[in-house]
Amino acid sequence: MLVTFYLNNTQVSYDVRPDEYLSHTLRSHGIKSVKVGCNESTCGSCTLLVDDKPVMSCSVLTASIEGKHVTTVEGIQEEAAKIAYHFAEEGADQCGFCNAGYALVVYALKREIKNPTEEQIIDYIVGNLCRCSGLQSQLNAIKAYLKEE
Amino acid sequence: MKVNEYYRASSLEDAYQKLLASPKNAIIAGGLWMKKMGQSYETLIDLSNLGLDKIEDKKDEVVVGALATQRDFENSKVVSFLYAGAPAFAVREVMGVNFRNIATIGGSIMGRYPFSDVITGLLPYDVKLEFYPAQKMSLEEYLNYKGRLNAILVAVHIKKIEGKGYFKKVKTTALDFPIVNIAVAKVAGEYRVVVGARPMVAAKAYKAMEYLNNGAKDFTKAAELAVEELSFMDNKDASKEYRVDLAKVYVRRGLEEVSK
Ligand SMILES: Cc1cc2nc3c(=O)[nH]c(=O)nc-3n(C[C@H](O)[C@H](O)[C@H](O)COP(=O)(O)OP(=O)(O)OC[C@H]3O[C@@H](n4cnc5c(N)ncnc54)[C@H](O)[C@@H]3O)c2cc1C
Ligand code: FES
Ligand code: FES
Repeated sequence: MLVTFYLNNTQVSYDVRPDEYLSHTLRSHGIKSVKVGCNESTCGSCTLLVDDKPVMSCSVLTASIEGKHVTTVEGIQEEAAKIAYHFAEEGADQCGFCNAGYALVVYALKREIKNPTEEQIIDYIVGNLCRCSGLQSQLNAIKAYLKEE
Repeated sequence: MKVNEYYRASSLEDAYQKLLASPKNAIIAGGLWMKKMGQSYETLIDLSNLGLDKIEDKKDEVVVGALATQRDFENSKVVSFLYAGAPAFAVREVMGVNFRNIATIGGSIMGRYPFSDVITGLLPYDVKLEFYPAQKMSLEEYLNYKGRLNAILVAVHIKKIEGKGYFKKVKTTALDFPIVNIAVAKVAGEYRVVVGARPMVAAKAYKAMEYLNNGAKDFTKAAELAVEELSFMDNKDASKEYRVDLAKVYVRRGLEEVSK
């Protein structure tokens, strides 16, 4: 079936199976920044934004996003670079598998909640697991990024 | 999950006819549980063009569209005012934001999951389910309904009554299923006690409620009555005994909290 949506503000139409998940569709069209870790709606590494909201793309059927706006890390390059800088500064960056998902969720957090408390930050990122680090460094990096400007 | 056709319904009647057309057809909401179960379907019926994702503040009730996401629910101002925020808090205990932006309130209720935080969090209150074809039943009636209801959940009606609620999910890590969950409320002066994930779908502890609503004040005794009345079991997450001990403590604490 043909599904038309906006990928980083560019209209695309892909021929997909009715049971195909968005992470698969994007990766098979070369968007390899979308990482699939657990493929079981748990780890959050496949996180991207649909209509500005972070969702696990391994668990969203492509057929369901007709007409919607999908943002991957390629669509937020400038902000992603700032986030990456703070992650590197805090040593939150190890193998990098979780990074794209983190960048998108942190970007969404900044847009959705003004001046979040630590509890709100943790609640927002708890669905993004990192196998390499202890999450404290991520938290420090996110706080530093949110303080910018 | 294997699917042959993805169908966007143009009306509730259209969706219903498609649902009746084959036992291999099903409504899809967030699709998270359906993915986990991995069954094969002939047709998945998508209701997202039908405006069922709204949360409306009516005079004496809050009407939550079946397709409202868990995140819509917890973020809704009107919902956050209900019962000191206890139902919203219960929903916020499910996984992370990137999950709750997908999972729906309707899908969370229709599955009658034995672990559900959403159901436990709503059961103490006066909650009615609105189905298509036209039919209403309380959440409790639906939980006790035998067999599969071949109908479409349209909305969840939560009565606005003066009252205070408490919710506790015991879990091992932030993203885990509950070992047990407890919801306690005092609504219009009346105590309500619910325990879920025993690991069976939430149920009211009627004996404890009757004891308290007849004027008794011993919350420890009420918590004992609750665990005596409800059945608990072992599973890989916890033993029956551990669940009973946890439920006793948190029912008591909940009662203390809502009686303040
Ligand atoms: C990995 C994982 C972890 C989870 N952890 C928790 C947890 O800790 N606590 C908790 O409470 N929940 C948990 N859940 C359950 C989750 O919160 C949702 O309740 C569940 O995914 C169902 O919501 P959904 O929108 O995805 O429904 P779907 O998967 O789309 O649907 C579920 C069922 O309901 C039917 N259905 C959906 N909408 C309607 C409708 N409007 N009318 C008629 N039938 C309908 C579908 O046909 C299907 O049979 C977890 C789920 C997963 C996959
Ligand atoms: S890959 Fe999607 S949540 Fe893990
Ligand atoms: S840096 Fe390796 S998973 Fe996070």
